[in-house]
Amino acid sequence: MKNGRDSHDTYKYVRTDTSTLDKVIDVHDVYVKRSKLRVLFSYIGRLILLANMSLLLIEKDKLSIVSFWRLFLGVVSAKLLQYKPIKKVMVDGSVTFPPINYIRSGVAAIHIERPPLFQSLTDCGRIDRKFIQMGKILKPVLNECVTPVTCYWSLVLVLRDDDQLALVFQKLQPPIKILVPVWKALCKSTNLEDHSHSLK
Amino acid sequence: MEESRRKHRILMVSDFFYPNFGGVESHIYYLSQCLLKRGHKVVIMSHAYGNRTGVRYITNNLKVYYIPWRPFLMQNTLPTFYLTLPIIRTILIREKISIVHGHQAFSTLCHESLMHARTMGCKVVFTDHSLYGFADPGSIHMNKILQFTLADIDHAICVSHTSKENTVLRSGIKPETVFVVPNAVDTAMFTPAPTQLARDEVVIVVISRLVYRKGADLLVEVIPEVCRLFPHVRFIIGGDGPKRVRLEEMREKFSLQDRVEMLGAVPHSQVRSVLISGHIFLNSSLTEAFCIAILEAASCGLLTVSTRVGGVPEVLPEDMIVLAEPAPQDMLRAIEQAIDMLPNIDPQIMHSRMKSYYSWHDVAKRTEIVYDCVMDSSNKSILERLPRYLICGAWAGKIFCLVMIVNFILWRLLEFFQPAESIEEVPDMASMCNHEDDN
Repeated sequence: MKNGRDSHDTYKYVRTDTSTLDKVIDVHDVYVKRSKLRVLFSYIGRLILLANMSLLLIEKDKLSIVSFWRLFLGVVSAKLLQYKPIKKVMVDGSVTFPPINYIRSGVAAIHIERPPLFQSLTDCGRIDRKFIQMGKILKPVLNECVTPVTCYWSLVLVLRDDDQLALVFQKLQPPIKILVPVWKALCKSTNLEDHSHSLK
Repeated sequence: MEESRRKHRILMVSDFFYPNFGGVESHIYYLSQCLLKRGHKVVIMSHAYGNRTGVRYITNNLKVYYIPWRPFLMQNTLPTFYLTLPIIRTILIREKISIVHGHQAFSTLCHESLMHARTMGCKVVFTDHSLYGFADPGSIHMNKILQFTLADIDHAICVSHTSKENTVLRSGIKPETVFVVPNAVDTAMFTPAPTQLARDEVVIVVISRLVYRKGADLLVEVIPEVCRLFPHVRFIIGGDGPKRVRLEEMREKFSLQDRVEMLGAVPHSQVRSVLISGHIFLNSSLTEAFCIAILEAASCGLLTVSTRVGGVPEVLPEDMIVLAEPAPQDMLRAIEQAIDMLPNIDPQIMHSRMKSYYSWHDVAKRTEIVYDCVMDSSNKSILERLPRYLICGAWAGKIFCLVMIVNFILWRLLEFFQPAESIEEVPDMASMCNHEDDN
């Protein structure tokens, strides 16, 4: 069993790579560290909104256009400062080898988990899942993206019969040293799939 | 000696690059290719062109950043002073740039990049490709901006001695900091026709933008006279612009439809095929810093007739070019002289001579010398550099100082919120390809 770890200021990378007779488990977990500053700002935003709403209730007899503007600004600041961090992104490139007499295709699953927003109220975090058939992946590519203010790397999948590139990490921008092992593993998996197709 | 020369990491910046075609664009492209061949790392930065945005790799893995800032006037990005600081800083850090080389005084992206690069302590070089006046409001404004940019520059490059004079007078920089490195021509692309054209009919070719600056009004005066005096001469005019209408009117007025052929806009890839259909190339520009067009024509074996303006007299020897004042009578005289010289012209010999006179590899070698000088110059702190801006004018100097101080403060804020260590360096494409081949 091979494992890998890497750490960065914002991200932590853990790889689980196990091979058995009938399956290869290759899971890449990217953990996102919560930003305390952003948590603080999100609470400040909510406090501002709460204060504006309380003021509105207190002044309910003397409401004016200013009061509604204040409420509107409170909502906007709470929304802007809202922080819904992504806790973990998992890229699962595991492949199950079928018995000799039939073929089953491997599946790549990309899981996203969120932390509970109000721990005390609910205990479930939202999970977004996206499954992409391994055979649909033409090539995983490390892409340099340029915005008006910065540049960053992203890992994208070029899919067969699809003009759009599929982002592996939709909302995160992990550093290149975390993207490279995921990219290599995906390249290896897609090569295995190409090879199994060629053996049909 | 060759192996021991220093390798630099250069960022070429201009609003004018591929997919646009022109003198500045070709200069940046060919110079970058030759510098890459000499072992330097070159990255180009320009603004987005339509859907062409992001990182692109062109010939020989030349990396181009098309940053998503839309052009707003004549292919220039909107001047914002400070808004381009984050992206330029990111590119300079991730590509480990040591020299920023800006091109063209009319490019706002170039000016802003040089300003930010100086703030960050990078070495900067500026190449001026055009001549500008001194009296009209546009030129006064442009000259002030140039004064600001060149106040703190390490070295500048001009494409001719006339251009150097013009740049020094406009910007007030010291002449000893300005190098003259002329343009060149791709002689492999511009070759003469395999068989020499018959001389019973003389064909005069004009390829230029049909605008005032390029002397389109002179053509309107000259062409009918030439056609009247020389019945065996015809014209081929390639190019487009606002003055095209005047030329069409002239053609109609003097019934020259069978003697003056208008081709419209000619794609750069087809310029050679138009040139080799003529004997004489006519350039009627009212101002030119260098004029790559006459190099291309000479490389194709054409005798050139040109106005004696700007840096044109420095470009070709006397037996390859006939110069005239930008007046119809003198141009007529020059065309007559050129027609008399035609029997002595051998296009193949002319092409061989051009190959020896001009080469982009030579331009790259000379530019490398400028880069070496730039890297040897001392680093100065912002306090030592601010007095250079104060001499730009009583009020302008103080405004320039303020602009640089604010830029410095913004840079330090960026350093605090996004330290340079958090910006990942880009692996070199060449070493990555070698690594993949090994794997």
